[in-house]
Amino acid sequence: MQRPLSPFMFPIWYRFQITSALSILHRLTGMGLTVGSIALAWWLFAVAAGGELFDATHTFLASPIGVLLLFLWSVAFFFHLCNGIRHFAWDLGRGFEIHTARHSAYGVLASTIVLTALAWLAVWLI
Amino acid sequence: MAKTPALSDATALRDEAVSKRVRQLGSARDGLGEWKLQRKTALALIPLSLYFVISMVRLATSDQVTAVQWLSSPVPALLTILFVLAVFTHALVGVRSILLDYVHTRARLMSAQLLAHGVTILLSGMSVIAVVKIFIGR
Repeated sequence: MQRPLSPFMFPIWYRFQITSALSILHRLTGMGLTVGSIALAWWLFAVAAGGELFDATHTFLASPIGVLLLFLWSVAFFFHLCNGIRHFAWDLGRGFEIHTARHSAYGVLASTIVLTALAWLAVWLI
Repeated sequence: MAKTPALSDATALRDEAVSKRVRQLGSARDGLGEWKLQRKTALALIPLSLYFVISMVRLATSDQVTAVQWLSSPVPALLTILFVLAVFTHALVGVRSILLDYVHTRARLMSAQLLAHGVTILLSGMSVIAVVKIFIGR
């Protein structure tokens, strides 16, 4: 018998729910941030090395692709941070009611947008 | 006499060691330790990652302070080292839980975990040495 495998139930076996969407987004943003952590190590290495390596790294980060990557990492970071705090509330046994879990999900999305906007407004306006 | 079904290698969880160690609601391996490590590093990362991101915004908006100058002070250097170590530990626990979910054969799982461990040690070591070098070379 071909049973559905849990990671791949989303589009076929389950209807869309904000809670399950955020659950998989938490994992996806975690994976994105893991890739970002490689860039973090590279950046620290480049700062320590200085010279041409740092210049090349800085030029790449300031390029459109670099800024796009930094923007995506900032979205992933603020989402993972906010949803991680939501997970802490669950670890403490709070917020398990369906309507609370839905409300906190929208709260996480709203906080992500606000924090990302604040961070980039600070970069562009200051 | 009932024939014992052969242990399949199709899923890594069908490992002889698992059934020996499971006790009631306990985990098969070192799940609780990892669960706690994930929470501890997550808790540490709330202030540490916010500190790092705010520092990055400040560096990006400042004409005077360079990254080298920033990491030449003891507190930023120490907080950055702690941030890096917490990030890589947290990432490794996360990557391992993803591998456990998606990599089903034992050989592939073991090699993937070994690779993840190796890359984590390499990158965190490289980062810490980099920060220490900047701090000493100020």
